[in-house]
Amino acid sequence: MRTLPFFLICLAVGAVVFGAAVGLGNDYIFFAGYVVLQYVVLSTAWNILGGYCGYVNFGTAAFFALGAYSTVAIYKFISEHDLYRMPMPFLLLIGGAVSAVVGFGMGYLTLRLRGAFFAIATLALAVVLQTLVVNWDYVGGSRGAYVIRPEAFPLIGSYIRYLFLIMLLLAVAALTIARLIERSRLGYGFATIRDDELAAEASGVPTLRLKLIATTISGALMGMAGAPYPYYIGYLQPSSTFGLDYAVNSIAMPLIGGTTSWVGPLIGAILLGSLQQVATVTISSAANLLIVGLLLVDFVIIAPNGIVGLLRDRRTTSAALAEPPLFTLIYIINLLPMYFLMYQGGTAEWIALFFWAFLFFAALARGWAIDRRWLFLFPFFGALAAQAAIAYSSFSLTVISVCIHAVGVLCGLITNRRLADAPN
Amino acid sequence: MPQTEHQPTSVATASLLEVDGVGKRFGGFVALENISLSVAPGERVGLIGPNGSGKSTLVNCICGTLRNEEGSVRFDGRPIDGLAAHQRTHLGLSRSFQLPRPFASLSLLDNVRIPRLYTVEARAHHSARQIEEHCHGLLREVGLEEKAHHLPRDLTQVEMRKLELARAMAAEPKLLIADEAMAGLTHSEIEDILTLLVRLNEQGVTIILIEHIMRAVMSFSRRLVVLVSGRKIADGPPEAVMRDPEVERAYLGQ
Amino acid sequence: MIFSFDLLINAIISGLLIGGFYAAVTCGISISFGILDIVNIAHPAFVILGSYIAYIINANFGFDPILTSIVVLPAFYALGAGIYQIYYVAFERRGQESLRGLAFFFGLLFITEVSLVLYFGVDYRYVQAPYIGPTLHVGFIDMPLRMLVPCLVSLLLIACLQLVLTRTFIGRAIMAVAQDQLALRLLAIDPTRIKRIAFGISIATASLAGAFLIIIQPVEPSVGRDYIGRIFAICVLGGMGSLPGAVIAAMLIGVVESLTSTFYGPSWAPAVSFGFLLLTLAVRPAGLLGR
Repeated sequence: MRTLPFFLICLAVGAVVFGAAVGLGNDYIFFAGYVVLQYVVLSTAWNILGGYCGYVNFGTAAFFALGAYSTVAIYKFISEHDLYRMPMPFLLLIGGAVSAVVGFGMGYLTLRLRGAFFAIATLALAVVLQTLVVNWDYVGGSRGAYVIRPEAFPLIGSYIRYLFLIMLLLAVAALTIARLIERSRLGYGFATIRDDELAAEASGVPTLRLKLIATTISGALMGMAGAPYPYYIGYLQPSSTFGLDYAVNSIAMPLIGGTTSWVGPLIGAILLGSLQQVATVTISSAANLLIVGLLLVDFVIIAPNGIVGLLRDRRTTSAALAEPPLFTLIYIINLLPMYFLMYQGGTAEWIALFFWAFLFFAALARGWAIDRRWLFLFPFFGALAAQAAIAYSSFSLTVISVCIHAVGVLCGLITNRRLADAPN
Repeated sequence: MPQTEHQPTSVATASLLEVDGVGKRFGGFVALENISLSVAPGERVGLIGPNGSGKSTLVNCICGTLRNEEGSVRFDGRPIDGLAAHQRTHLGLSRSFQLPRPFASLSLLDNVRIPRLYTVEARAHHSARQIEEHCHGLLREVGLEEKAHHLPRDLTQVEMRKLELARAMAAEPKLLIADEAMAGLTHSEIEDILTLLVRLNEQGVTIILIEHIMRAVMSFSRRLVVLVSGRKIADGPPEAVMRDPEVERAYLGQ
Repeated sequence: MIFSFDLLINAIISGLLIGGFYAAVTCGISISFGILDIVNIAHPAFVILGSYIAYIINANFGFDPILTSIVVLPAFYALGAGIYQIYYVAFERRGQESLRGLAFFFGLLFITEVSLVLYFGVDYRYVQAPYIGPTLHVGFIDMPLRMLVPCLVSLLLIACLQLVLTRTFIGRAIMAVAQDQLALRLLAIDPTRIKRIAFGISIATASLAGAFLIIIQPVEPSVGRDYIGRIFAICVLGGMGSLPGAVIAAMLIGVVESLTSTFYGPSWAPAVSFGFLLLTLAVRPAGLLGR
């Protein structure tokens, strides 16, 4: 499918989504949806540099915040000089431009180095920028900045609907750009940089130039995602705006969804974003981050190519879990949160299902590898026992369920047959 | 060191590749010392030497993967010392890697398409279909056409070397450096690669062949260069070089 | 900005003392990143873990934090060895360490930090010890013992580590594994086992560093984040695998941070180490004593 039809279809889907949200009547859906869409943009942007080129950027927050603080600076300027309010699309462009320039500059300084150094440098950049902003009183410094959200927007309704619409359009643009890159010569070049940069250079690919392009586009999109944020949140604080939370999310979502295509970040953002919206409300925001961290580690080990990879090719997945240390790790990091969430009750129990699924999958793969195909029965019955324990508030049933799991792990680990050290 | 006459081509021909006093060290270790070499267009040069003599280091310095501390390299008349590797490839200098470095996530067809897209296609403008046909042709020449849509992980070591060669050829180079492209091949496969290289040479591509398989090197090369411990110890017609006492000592007397 | 000689000297001394501590936190990274090329961005989280363990033991039994951390060393070593084994099997062997390996450690950082938050809350925790409180006065120079003691023990730790790396067989094998794995194999030494030992040592140092940290300042889970940039800055500036280089770089950064904090205000201090890092990477990635 060529790009223009794709873009139009995305617009159409977006229109449907917007219509559905309006139809639901509750403004809350716009607040929650804005965050999810924001993450669609951030993950897609991150993936252009991280997934396509293989260069990890820990500084998502920095670019995001640059866009946000550009808006704040303009807002202050306008308020002080009593000028006409700048329309959102212009704010987007300015925020994007600022982030693009910084992205280019940072890339120029650090992209000649290995990927690991680049990743650390992005971390440094985020902190340096945060310190600069904290010490810049014009935008509020450490006290923070207030931005007053207008009441309504003509034709669309409440202002939050307008913001939702803006983010929706930005998401469509980001996805279209990602897909366009993917299918172009640029995308091929990015893939070679990811696979073997040395060989890419020898093949005639101008690696530095391409990496700079990736950094600039990625930074620009992140900046654009940040530009409307002050209006969304009303009160902007450096510590949270520059937080590592943006980094972990924009890394986890593409890795969980799948890094090699534009679909991955979309799936990852919708899935993980929605999950977090639910978890923050039902449990706590700290638990929310824990879930992201756990899912990230789970996916990175079990399904290196994300959900998209799982759907396409299950080969690499099962091979990983056959190894004893991975099997143990997966069990530990999924068993504990599973119990934690189950005992929270309510919606949290549904999230527990995710972790149970990992346990199940791990037992399945390990069982196949060591010829004990019945291994998956352990997590199955263990979970059933845990559910019963909660339903009947029975401590002994809890103990039984833990024992079932423990026996399952032991059966999975204790084996005479050593797995051959097969090169992958 | 004995410098025997170059194969006379044409008196007025400028050399395609001129390596002048190139030196490279890694910390305290001297990998290359004062290497000077001149390759005329259309030549078939063999580069041999024991393991660790610096052959691959020399190739890396010529192609820009490494920067030489001393000396200079000229290609097609212009100095290329500061140029990045991809710029040298654009000028027509191409190489295959000794340990194959395929693009693991791309199909064989795409592996071969990349150099084309970024070198030839930057100047010319063929349609996508023409490019694809050309890539199929390249794969056919090395005998990998049936696996065009496979990933490199499905290839044997031998097939990966052929892919390396095909990828180096895709850039339509003026000078191709084949770094141990024939390791592990059977007798007939070596013949195939040699025929391929000879045909390339007849089409005007200058070739530097780095090999350990003496039979192949002797039959292919019109000129032989010998590297030992980072120094060039011989440079001339193959039979003369092989009779050189210093070369004998290097190969037999260690 | 009131300039006074007393203030300047004290700021420098204070910087040197904290630099000694920074070196302890960084020496683990010098091994795992400098020598083994593993970007263990979760290292500060393990340091914080060490702090909390020292805290629990100190709060419940009154044991000295540094002694506690030494007792707990084997557990941290085992943790490090286990994590390396997972990292090796899941990433290094598959050649995916640059993206997914990095994300793995990032995930570990978050998991550790948030677990601590969920269990201990965000209150600041501190320890009690006879040397926390008193200050040594030499003329006009004030040296709080709570900073002097960790600094001295830290330098001792690094000296021991350097001896191990240069004089023992295992130590030299560790240095060798960074340079030539094939040669090690030919000597019938398994590079993976060497790396596992090295990574275990790296995490073990985090135990001690954690004890130092909670002696110097009260700790809460997110304190670790400030250290991510610092330790990589010190490691790179000090020349990757070089421990003496790390000490020098650590003291340098400690002094500059202290001076910045004293004369320009503490809100500028975080930018110092990270700014140093960016500068070093841009100008001289090989560091001060680089390889």
